[in-house]
Amino acid sequence: MISFEPVGEVAVLRLDRAAKKNALTPAMLRDLVARVAGCASARAIVLSGVGDVFCAGFDLTLAKDDDGALAVLITELASAVRALRDAPVPVIASAHGAAIAGGCALLCACDFVVADAASRIGYPALRLGISPAVSAPSLASVIGVGPARCLQLDPGVISGEEAARLGLVSDLMKTGAECEPRAIVLAAQLSRKPAAAFAHTKGWLNRIDPLCDDRSSEDGLRASLAGVGGAEQRRLLAQVWSRT
Amino acid sequence: MTELTTLTKDGPIATLTLRRPEVRNALSVDLLNDLHARVASLGASSDVSVLVLTGEGRAFCAGMDLKAVVDDADAALRLLRSLADLTLSLRALPMVTVARVNGAAIGGGCGLACVCDIAITHADSRMGFPEVDLGVCPAVVAPWLVKKIGAGRARRVLLSGGLMSGAEAHALGIVDHLAPDAAGLDALCTSLTTRLATGGHLALLATKELLNRLDNSIDTPVLHAGAELSAAIVASDETRAILRARLKG
Repeated sequence: MISFEPVGEVAVLRLDRAAKKNALTPAMLRDLVARVAGCASARAIVLSGVGDVFCAGFDLTLAKDDDGALAVLITELASAVRALRDAPVPVIASAHGAAIAGGCALLCACDFVVADAASRIGYPALRLGISPAVSAPSLASVIGVGPARCLQLDPGVISGEEAARLGLVSDLMKTGAECEPRAIVLAAQLSRKPAAAFAHTKGWLNRIDPLCDDRSSEDGLRASLAGVGGAEQRRLLAQVWSRT
Repeated sequence: MTELTTLTKDGPIATLTLRRPEVRNALSVDLLNDLHARVASLGASSDVSVLVLTGEGRAFCAGMDLKAVVDDADAALRLLRSLADLTLSLRALPMVTVARVNGAAIGGGCGLACVCDIAITHADSRMGFPEVDLGVCPAVVAPWLVKKIGAGRARRVLLSGGLMSGAEAHALGIVDHLAPDAAGLDALCTSLTTRLATGGHLALLATKELLNRLDNSIDTPVLHAGAELSAAIVASDETRAILRARLKG
């Protein structure tokens, strides 16, 4: 589900479910948390996805006949975001192709994000009655509260180019194929910095930002969970199943 | 008062100049003490609307003078606490502050530029935060950079280390106004400060005070904790070894 490839001192973690555009399952998210914890000896982490698309968001087919599945997905996503942000090493995302909903939430937890100009990024899950609020604190931390308001409330997606303008994407590439190699180069550069100073600086940046604290994370999680299983969300999700 | 700084006044515009050009205006305990005294005197200058902070010679400020403290953990902590307190008192000044970044603004020097309300430079100046490259944690300047450019961009700048041109600093928002070259900086500074001084003096001060409250500028506990963290990292064996090698080289 999450593949691991060491490249020098860089741990490359890939969402490995290309046939489903790396759609996230609870097991994948738990595996991601475990992999990040298991990267203790790595000096940098690249978070990528196998295939043309980084991540299409939650695998909502799991929620079709199981009301509890969506809540589990949201909760595990919050844990994964936390694990990536608290990793003491640089974390660089390769957001090639698309980073949708839960995939976009993962980007917000990374220190650097490489994406292609045409990558599709955003939170269209709102159309399904699913609130992206679980991702709001970390998104607001990265791009500021004003732009985050727009991206969280608008169910459309933006391009990688627009995401770079907002500051969500730090390195913009022409094609998706260039993203992961660039992320690995950047990770290798960052991995050569003195480890303790890097870890303390990242930890300090987390500590001085109220949007990174436990309360903000819990607020976001609670807001997303509040709508799960409600009449609106059931109705909108049912419409998806009736179309497919 | 020693000659490590000068303070001049021209009507409502005051200029505070760092004067250690032989060491690119690096911040020593003595220079910081001078700056504390100057800032304290400015706090009582009710007729000043604009303060320009700049450096004599080719550099604005090369950052902390670590040479003197690399082997003395207590001295490092005193130096970093002094910087933390200076940033707080500079931010708390009632008048609008303008960092006129005439040349290199490195580490703590770039931090001072971020503390000021407005920063200007020219396209060819060198700015940035190379602390992580030196094994140092920029914990005192981090809160100011976050306030200036936001947490996401600040994270990338501080974790990347290195230096950037004035033009790049302008693109990131570290600098608000950019002169095309060093020769154009005076004209830019004069037009900006003149413009700032033509507004209502009390309205200007009231606006600044509100902005300081909105972003919780005077967060003394965080700045002091930052000084302690930064000093602890400087005192570590890894960082001392890097600094000794760099400072002798």
